[in-house]
Amino acid sequence: MNASILMLIAIFFPILFGAVLLLMPEFSSRGRLLSVTGTGLVLTGVLVMAALGTARTDLLLLHLGDKLELYFCLDDLGRLFTLIVTIVWILAGFYSFEYMRHEKEEKRYFGFYLMVFGVLSALGFAGNIVTFYLFYELLTLLSMPLVLHTKTKEAVMGGLKYLFYSLCGAYMVLMGLFFLNRYAATFQFTAGGALHEELAAGHEKTLLVIVFFMILGFGVKAGMFPLHAWLPTAHPVAPAPASAALSGVIVKAGVLGVIRTVYFLFGASFIRGTWVQTAWISLTLITILMGSMLAYREKVLKKRLAYSTVSQVSYILFGLALLEPTAMTGALLHVVFHAWIKAALFLSAGAIIYKTGKTRTDELTGIGKEMPVTIWCYTIASLALIGIPPASGFISKWYLALGALSSDTGLFTWLGPAVLLLSALLTAGYLLPVTLKGFLPGVDFNYAGLQKREPDLWMLIPIVILAAFSLLFGIFPNPLTEFIRGIVSAVL
Amino acid sequence: MSYLIYGLIFLPMAGALLSYMLGRKYKKYRDYFVSGLAVLEFVLAAVLLFQYVAGAEKTYMTRLSDICGMGFSFTVDGFRAVYVCIAAFMWMVTSLFSMEYFEHYRNRNRYYLFQLITLGATEAIFLSADLYTTFVFFEAMSFASYVWVAQDERRESLRAAAIYLAVAVTGGLVMLMGLFLLYHQAGTLEIGALYEACRGKNVYAAAACLLFGFGAKAGVFPLHIWLPKAHPVAPAPASALLSGILTKTGIFGVLVISCKIFPHDGIWETVILAFGVATMVIGAVLALFSIDFKRTLACSSVSQIGFIMIGIGMQGLLGESNMFAVRGTFLHMVNHSLFKLVLFLVAGVIYRNLHKLNLNEIRGFGRKKPLLAFIYLMGALGIGGMPLFSGYVSKTLLHESIVEYAERLREAPASAVFFSAGQMKVIEWVFLISGGLTVAYMTKLFIAVFVEKNKDPALQEAYDAQKKYMTPLSGGVLLAASLLLPGMTMDKLANLGQGFMGLAGAGESVYWFSFDHLKGSLISIAIGALLYLVLGRGWMMRQVNAEEKEIACAEGNLQKLQAGKNSADGKRALQEGKVGIVSAFLKLRSGGTVYVDRWPKFLDLCKISGAVGKLLIKVGGVAAGLLDTFVDTWVVILRKTVYRDYSKMGELKEGNGFTYVLGSIANFVCRFMNRTFWRRHPRKTDYRHKLALEYWRIRETNYLITRSLSYGLILFSIGLCATLIYLLIGAVR
Repeated sequence: MNASILMLIAIFFPILFGAVLLLMPEFSSRGRLLSVTGTGLVLTGVLVMAALGTARTDLLLLHLGDKLELYFCLDDLGRLFTLIVTIVWILAGFYSFEYMRHEKEEKRYFGFYLMVFGVLSALGFAGNIVTFYLFYELLTLLSMPLVLHTKTKEAVMGGLKYLFYSLCGAYMVLMGLFFLNRYAATFQFTAGGALHEELAAGHEKTLLVIVFFMILGFGVKAGMFPLHAWLPTAHPVAPAPASAALSGVIVKAGVLGVIRTVYFLFGASFIRGTWVQTAWISLTLITILMGSMLAYREKVLKKRLAYSTVSQVSYILFGLALLEPTAMTGALLHVVFHAWIKAALFLSAGAIIYKTGKTRTDELTGIGKEMPVTIWCYTIASLALIGIPPASGFISKWYLALGALSSDTGLFTWLGPAVLLLSALLTAGYLLPVTLKGFLPGVDFNYAGLQKREPDLWMLIPIVILAAFSLLFGIFPNPLTEFIRGIVSAVL
Repeated sequence: MSYLIYGLIFLPMAGALLSYMLGRKYKKYRDYFVSGLAVLEFVLAAVLLFQYVAGAEKTYMTRLSDICGMGFSFTVDGFRAVYVCIAAFMWMVTSLFSMEYFEHYRNRNRYYLFQLITLGATEAIFLSADLYTTFVFFEAMSFASYVWVAQDERRESLRAAAIYLAVAVTGGLVMLMGLFLLYHQAGTLEIGALYEACRGKNVYAAAACLLFGFGAKAGVFPLHIWLPKAHPVAPAPASALLSGILTKTGIFGVLVISCKIFPHDGIWETVILAFGVATMVIGAVLALFSIDFKRTLACSSVSQIGFIMIGIGMQGLLGESNMFAVRGTFLHMVNHSLFKLVLFLVAGVIYRNLHKLNLNEIRGFGRKKPLLAFIYLMGALGIGGMPLFSGYVSKTLLHESIVEYAERLREAPASAVFFSAGQMKVIEWVFLISGGLTVAYMTKLFIAVFVEKNKDPALQEAYDAQKKYMTPLSGGVLLAASLLLPGMTMDKLANLGQGFMGLAGAGESVYWFSFDHLKGSLISIAIGALLYLVLGRGWMMRQVNAEEKEIACAEGNLQKLQAGKNSADGKRALQEGKVGIVSAFLKLRSGGTVYVDRWPKFLDLCKISGAVGKLLIKVGGVAAGLLDTFVDTWVVILRKTVYRDYSKMGELKEGNGFTYVLGSIANFVCRFMNRTFWRRHPRKTDYRHKLALEYWRIRETNYLITRSLSYGLILFSIGLCATLIYLLIGAVR
């Protein structure tokens, strides 16, 4: 089959499948719904993998006039992103099979879940900013139903907040598009930048403002200060697998947008050493500390994890903002690792909620005696997130810090690593108590009330796989690092 | 040889998992398995040492590339081989001892799992050839050993463990910062290549970060705070390992910095020396003040680490001819490991029998137990630096190095880095006094446990009658360990260890028992005896009058009872309270002296740092909270001002102007009445609202009426009547 057609099918099959699922009448049994959804998930996974396996392909789907084209093109960065999406999406999907048992209207959930899958692959495959923008907006609209699924008042308000913030960000990006249309040679993602030198000459100041707005705009999805506030509101109200997907993958769509804008449209050299870089780094560092601090003070586990995402994704943005190859390697590594880790953490939190109904961390004393496997996975993922070797987070932070030290950013060369480590300390402070209290409940603890509450295999296996990934990728990181070095060397 | 190295590291780790699985079913076999593994580990370590010695003492390197990004590398040299051996030995002894000690413990499986993981990690640290490897296993060791401290899950254990973990995590992260800086500047982390790579570069910042990290583990002032907390609550075998070998991993790191990055760097070594002196004195003073057997030993560890740090500092300051310092440092490390092994296991024997460690309570336990007393004395005399014991050799070497340096400074005052000859003389005296303090607190423990009688005669009788206080296995193992102490192999060991610190060639043999050498030791012992008699028996003990005792007892019991109400097992607390009353009565009858903790409470560094930490978190939290709500606040402000929902000016929510005014007046009157006449039974009616409702009701009724048929009929009738009247009037006219 033609490779480019394969790519199209991989994008539109799940979208159509999901749409059909939504339109179909209610299934007679839950099993039937699950088997249909499962088929859709697995088929999509196979299709995406097949598409990823092809050599560099591109496809011009529609020409809307002037530079506006619907254009797909597969490069290594897109491959990486789509691969993460596929793995997390399928695992969280299977997890939902059991978890969604205690929610209503599962068909709607699975329908939108599949549609978002297609949209995310499309983001990975997008070859120019117009296509990217189109699917980016679609992502917001289609993922909102996942957030407000429970339809409680908080969930609806959380969903609306998510919509409001995302649209705000998207409009900042759209404004950037108008200017790019004037000053860029092409809308296509070009490694090293696509600005038209003659046209852009003399307009650097304007363009810097524009690029800053685009970073802020995509930064909304990535939870960068000041527009991060949707994350801690939307995550706790969404069903756990949806939070895992949001936190593990959807926020990374914002990161992908930033990478595409900075490294593939404007070019790293365009903003290196300018006020934009300084402001951007400052914002990321503020976000890192703020997120960790708030997570430390938060008592609701899922909300704590959401704040943790705010902080951790800014690690990635910090690495990108340094515009330095090693730091960018670290950032991309952290994209991958954080996806596994945060998905594992949210899924474990979900398992705890599903089995015990407890949401606050101070209620979790002795939880490790009840759900040992889950809490072990939680612990491994926590250690990875803190950056304790040999778990994976350590590797990405190693590259991030070394990159910061060898970058040319003045004060930030050492302030950056110091902030990373301070935040790591706070990370230990907010993640480990669950483990410690869970496994070491103290002598006063009443063991009589304990019962085995391990979730069943549909939920357990995804958690175990993700936790194993977050450990194994730390022990054997080199193949991935080499792959990422290839991406980085193309743009820096 | 590389198989041997990987075996040493990964065998215990694999064994840990096996023992965990085994232990779920067969507890007995698990115990044998763990002990067997520890013995095997020691055999492997011994083989490594012999191979190294037999193989013409050539250093050996091996790499595991690609693991964890940078790959691991391990190496064997004399220092490492000896320390690997000592670590394995200590694990073997504690494992054998644990079989008895843990008999009645919960969660033993967990303890053994983490014990074996820590063993592998510790061996890896001593074998590591680059700081990256060191760091990776250092973190593994720190986290795994957390479980030791928290093992029995009592409240104070969990608290101490939390402090331990906080110090370990903070130390680890600061160390990581140091590694970042070092790797950035030097481009390599390989220990052997660091000197070349760092020459001519200012790597003090990196080294300071590393020192923080390693110092936190070693227990260097002011990061020693975890030691006095963690040791008394950890199980005794774990305390022995924590104090004997885990602190040495920290010292290993300090040695790497001092000998491999800054060999003979005056400024750096002065810093190390200063920290060493502070640690030595503070540890020793704390130990003398303590009235808890294990706490004393823990503080003593801090102090001995200070001695070792002084040795490290001196070997740098002395430059090329630093034989005394190098050998003294290494030997004192080895000696301290073995002393503390023995002493903590003695504490373990006491604790296992009595479940108490307070000197007033365990007083007299050791009477009529010659074996235990002998074992304790072996450790105590050694650590006190008594001639003929190994501690004498190492302490004398360290002392000689200070004397030598002071001598050299007197001859050439210009070569002083920071401390002048006079100040070195002061340091020498501080050193001797600290040695004296060591003697004093060791004597205090000995007298309290093995000589004095308990103030409660009944208890003393019970103590005396107790003959089976340890199994032959534990006893044998302990005895064997204690007999190693007056070792005669000091010179050979020192020859093996000194290469790591950059000293080549066999040392000249020293005539140990010349008066010059004996002098220092004798002065220390004299000072110790004096300190013990004046402070230990004078100020730190007191005659307790009866009333005071009664009050204290009553207070203590009250507290216990109150605590008992809240906690789950209040019954036990009550019982303990009763026992306390009974024993207090007995004490009262006999009168006498008790040991008192004279250390001022406000000097507890833990509390101070905890308060500072809380304050920082508070401030940070408030700042972060402000940032977090930054955008949302703006949205709210805009919604309240510019983007407010539109409403007409002067439009009332309900009612009309008349009801509003009337209602307001009524409300005012009502409020007035509520304050005056209706004070007893105030009325809470909102008349404005009530009138508005009334108004609406009237309007509604009107509306209904005006649209009804009857209303039409009435109007029709009225009209008809009016017409009739008009007609009538017209007719009348």
